[in-house]
Amino acid sequence: MSALSTNAGGPKGLPALISGQILKLIGLAILDAFGLLLFYAFWFSGNTALALIIAVITIGMNVVIFVPRLYPLRWMSPGLALMILLVIYPLLFTVSTAFTNYSDGHLFSKEQAIALHSKATFTPEDAPTYRFTPYVNKADPTDYALWLTREGDAGTEVIFAKEGEPLVVLEGVEPEPPEEYEGYRPLERRELVAALSVLETAQFGEEPNTVTVVSAARGVAARSLQRYVWNAELNGLEDRQTGLFYAADDETGSFIANKGRAEQQELQPGYWVGVGFNNFRRFVESPALRGPLVQVFVWTVAFAFFSVMTTFVAGLIMALVLNSPDIPGRKVIRSLLIIPYAIPGVISILVWKGMMNPNLGVLARSFGINPPWFSDPLWAKIGILLINLWLGYPYMMLICSGALQAIPTDIYEASSVDGANPWQRFWNITLPLLLVTVGPLLIASFTYNFNNFVVVEAFNKGGPPIPGTLTPAGYTDILISYTYRLAFGSGRGADYGLASAITIIIFAIVAGVTLLQFRFTGQWEEVSENV
Amino acid sequence: MKKHLMLLTVVILILGSLAPALAQEATSLVIWADDTRAPILAEVGKAFTEEYGVEVVVQEMGFGDIRDGLKVAGPAGEGPDIIIGAHDWLGELVVNGLLAPIDLGDKAAEFFTPAVDAFTYDGVLYGMPYAMENLAFIYNPELVATPPTTWTEVKELSAEIQASGAAKYGYIIRTNDPYHWMPMFSAFGGYVFGRNEVGAYDPTDIGLDSEGALAAGAYLQSLVEEGLLVPDIDYDIEHTMFETGEAAMIVTGPWALPRIKASGVPYAVTMIPGEVQPASPFLGVQGFMISAFSQNQMLAEIFLLDYVANADVMQQIFDADPRPSAYLAVREAITDPDIAGFVAAGANGAAMPAIPEMASVWTAWGNAMELIIRQTESAEAALTNAAAQVRELLATDLSAMVNIPGSWQAAVGCASDWDPACKVTALTDNGDGTFSGTFNIPAGSYEFKAALGGSWGENYGVDGVRDGGNYSLVLEADSVVTFTYDSATHLVTVTIGE
Amino acid sequence: MSSRTESRMVVGGREKLLELTLRWVVIVIAVAFALFPVVWIFSAAFNPTGNLANQTLIPQGVDSLDELLTNFRGLLVEDVDIHPFWNWLGNSIFVASITSVLTVLVAALSAYAFSRFRFAGRRNLLVLVLLIQVFPNMLAMVALFLILQQIGKLSEYIPQALPFLEGINWSFFSLFGLNSLGGLILVYMGGAMGINTWLMKGFFDSVPRDIDESAQVDGASHWQTFWMLIFPLVRPILAVVAILSFIGTINEFVLARVMLRDKTTWTLMVGLYNYVSDNFARDWGKFAAGALISATPIVILYIALQDQIVGGLTQGAVKG
Repeated sequence: MSALSTNAGGPKGLPALISGQILKLIGLAILDAFGLLLFYAFWFSGNTALALIIAVITIGMNVVIFVPRLYPLRWMSPGLALMILLVIYPLLFTVSTAFTNYSDGHLFSKEQAIALHSKATFTPEDAPTYRFTPYVNKADPTDYALWLTREGDAGTEVIFAKEGEPLVVLEGVEPEPPEEYEGYRPLERRELVAALSVLETAQFGEEPNTVTVVSAARGVAARSLQRYVWNAELNGLEDRQTGLFYAADDETGSFIANKGRAEQQELQPGYWVGVGFNNFRRFVESPALRGPLVQVFVWTVAFAFFSVMTTFVAGLIMALVLNSPDIPGRKVIRSLLIIPYAIPGVISILVWKGMMNPNLGVLARSFGINPPWFSDPLWAKIGILLINLWLGYPYMMLICSGALQAIPTDIYEASSVDGANPWQRFWNITLPLLLVTVGPLLIASFTYNFNNFVVVEAFNKGGPPIPGTLTPAGYTDILISYTYRLAFGSGRGADYGLASAITIIIFAIVAGVTLLQFRFTGQWEEVSENV
Repeated sequence: MKKHLMLLTVVILILGSLAPALAQEATSLVIWADDTRAPILAEVGKAFTEEYGVEVVVQEMGFGDIRDGLKVAGPAGEGPDIIIGAHDWLGELVVNGLLAPIDLGDKAAEFFTPAVDAFTYDGVLYGMPYAMENLAFIYNPELVATPPTTWTEVKELSAEIQASGAAKYGYIIRTNDPYHWMPMFSAFGGYVFGRNEVGAYDPTDIGLDSEGALAAGAYLQSLVEEGLLVPDIDYDIEHTMFETGEAAMIVTGPWALPRIKASGVPYAVTMIPGEVQPASPFLGVQGFMISAFSQNQMLAEIFLLDYVANADVMQQIFDADPRPSAYLAVREAITDPDIAGFVAAGANGAAMPAIPEMASVWTAWGNAMELIIRQTESAEAALTNAAAQVRELLATDLSAMVNIPGSWQAAVGCASDWDPACKVTALTDNGDGTFSGTFNIPAGSYEFKAALGGSWGENYGVDGVRDGGNYSLVLEADSVVTFTYDSATHLVTVTIGE
Repeated sequence: MSSRTESRMVVGGREKLLELTLRWVVIVIAVAFALFPVVWIFSAAFNPTGNLANQTLIPQGVDSLDELLTNFRGLLVEDVDIHPFWNWLGNSIFVASITSVLTVLVAALSAYAFSRFRFAGRRNLLVLVLLIQVFPNMLAMVALFLILQQIGKLSEYIPQALPFLEGINWSFFSLFGLNSLGGLILVYMGGAMGINTWLMKGFFDSVPRDIDESAQVDGASHWQTFWMLIFPLVRPILAVVAILSFIGTINEFVLARVMLRDKTTWTLMVGLYNYVSDNFARDWGKFAAGALISATPIVILYIALQDQIVGGLTQGAVKG
């Protein structure tokens, strides 16, 4: 301590201060230049959202460094920058999705969808289809031609098609492609592949009688036209094959022809559009709410609460038990106890399921422990809590054993002089001080388990099923597994917009519970201030 | 602090330089395949590269991850040119515009027709199949002398085996796995979706509570009631019981052959028993598809048609993971009696529905199965409720619906405008031949019609004329609007205000 | 020494014995509970049939050590040409170590500020950080994918946007793009920042403030106080966060398998998951074998850092 203080209290000369300032400015200049570079590059490439995020981070860094009042934020700036880019931005993405119809069939922006449909081609019904052999001009390796053949009424029809020249049927020519024709030679397959990008778009013949390579693999060429053409004025896609007009409905993000009539047709995929609060309204309307929602909600809270309680109590007990120097080999024991946390949950849950199985499981066969883990609602709940306890207590043990070290021993010394017994010492000193450190984490753990989709799905997919419900649901389903199932299995494929809306609603509940719990942590923090 | 930050930046930069560099983007074919198929395709790719100088990059992924990966990467322009996948992904992938059509041309004749048909969605072919899979009946010949041909026989046999003590169970089935229930389900006449005139699945005809389905449920229930079947069986449990001789008969797929062989248990593969009709297991078809976002679609087609669609490569694919090939030359050369058994068992199969509605069925159907096997509910109650759940999810029981489809629907919470099946805007029966509904509609001008039965099949326009013109409605301000439909005159009257 | 104290000592001895017995009972139960399922994972790893349901401790029908090691041999030797296991393990350890070290550093800075400075909006910011962390961010994957993609493409964008910078090789951005371990590290660091800040803040709170106050009276700057005083004192939590972040990173595969395309860049969990991603034919034997191998560095790290976490009770006496 004394060594430290002389070290830290060393006098600072003026030159040091100035050089510090200059260093600061140089560093900031580099940072700003880098931020500006990224901002401009993203902006230029049309990535407005990312450009804005970069701008926010860069400006934020500057403000924080130049405004003395924001000194504390300087410490947080690296963490906050990471969070803004990699947590908050994705979060805003999810939130904004809730106000769109982003779902199967509506995954693209309007531009993307139009571009996609514009790639479709068709061959008019009266237009002939040919087999082709590609040729290249011996003098000009970028000038290609096609040797076209077609079985017509009057034998095989042969055309030698060049770009921009009319298609003329050759009379008295063998259909077999010759070794050379008008200074052109056949392309080898290898050359064809190399020239594919050119050949794909080349038009042979003269408008309106042109022929395009339809399939290089099968050697097929035909007149090929763009099928859907975007008409910006009428805001829709013209289908040149059928003559239908698919009007873009910017409220629903679909291309619909013959709207409001029996022959109504939709061109898929559509595109995503903003739909305001529709997804929230749809959730309120959805069968999910008329299903066993209350039951599911109660279990969700219970599941989260008991998961936290059991893991915390078990973790704390183990940390306390192993905290005594009287236990030989406690390092080894601790390491053994940490193993459940080191093994991927995917396999652990399955192993647990295997052990609990009444037919072959070791618990039933070797130990005679055979409660109805998978068929009785109560036992299923106990089972999933047991597994979650196994998965989670090492986390709590780790944190508690760390936190226990942070409790100054002199407090114990003082209290044992006062004659407090170990039990009193635990309740009056250890636990309150521990909760200073660990309390907020218990809340975090609660919220985590509130949405602990993985364990529920892996254990029993929410089973056993509740009989006679309006929507499929199980006794161990939690809110998020129950509602997502509806959002992703409602017959129209995955509906991310609806799922995001549900996410936000669930988050509102969790946030409410969390804020409520914080009234207690406020007290915890005050405890620490008194230390 | 800033120093610290700079340090951090420098550290990150240095660390980054250690990471493997990204491959340069040239013309190349990117293929996503699972670990069984990837090595074969990589070899084929080498030959392709040698011939054409085009690099072929085979990226290995879990089979199921390929579909999700394409949905994320495709729209971002990062996707592959070719993927392998299952035919029942088509509904999802095509609706999202992620696949480009394939034309097999003359090569189509070299493939098993039902496999090609399975990859056809809305009349367009989207894949080149390589293998098929379906369930078959597998029994232990030491316990079962002659394989049963009906489910009634299966039950008798199970009772005999159990009574004699030769094995703990006769036939066993997984507790919550409708895919494996389907053969029995169909043998009793049950079905999931009916088919329309042209043979496509019809999502409005749900057969989970059809007469045949209830019979299949009753049969399953009787197995449990007579102590021949127990709950809590999943894939691993089922196979372990069969492989250790605890169970004599199971229904499973070709993917399980390696482990059955490895266990050393005697087994034989045969047709799945029928009952009122032959069993019809779901057929799954696997194949190659071309991404709609590929810049090299023609090249991908050349790769598939010239380099993959041949007996040599198809044979390698077969050898790597033996299941009935979709390529005729390989399919017909199958000598392995096990695979031949699977081929025979699949002869009466039907392609698993690729329509998106199928996603709504699995959970409800599986839950019904579990409720029956756990004896929580009677077969009839469980299946009737499952069918009701699916109808609720799909909103298909609309025969009695009177709706006012129009341009106002999205504004009140429908998924889209002009949707005659949207439940939000359905009118309520007043009991006197009229139907009405009251809605808060924002200001604007709208058009609408009246439609019956949740479809455009029967709809009425202005003056109650069938298939007539649209009504129009102009609201100066946000208003409360009541629509009333008269089933005698087919007229719609609109009242604005409370 | 009076008889009163003597009797207290005797009672204390008996209590001590009782307490010790109780401790050992708890320990035995806990270790049995912790390790019992692990035994079956071992059993599955040594079972050549690769299934989890066969609840026989010693795999049946296995006659030789050779057969017992089928999964390990497959994973480490036979499949190595197509499944570069050691590569994956290396990637995993690389990503996990860098992530945990950087996470500890960055989160400690934030936590120190939250713990030691009183500023307007501190509490709200703190709550906000936690709430953001627990938001069930379903679509994060899509957004993160796009972010990494765009970062990787900066090497194309910059020369396009600013032609005069064309001469510089910007390709190092692709080291943080898709399919790069650098990008994955970024994602992991960002993802766990909130919860780690919280975790550390609680610990920083438990270090009495008079320590730094007295140091600051002596003229130390905040930076010096943090770096020389607080940082060493909170070693237990630094170690805890390092371990938690290491474990979390090693076992994560949902994001990794979307971000990493090339087999050579995969992390171990992505590679192992590949063995069990099939609908039915899942090779749990190899997965179990791989899971045990991947647990080894975690346990080693824990043993190495254990002294930091529970480095003797004297560590608690901070008022030196």
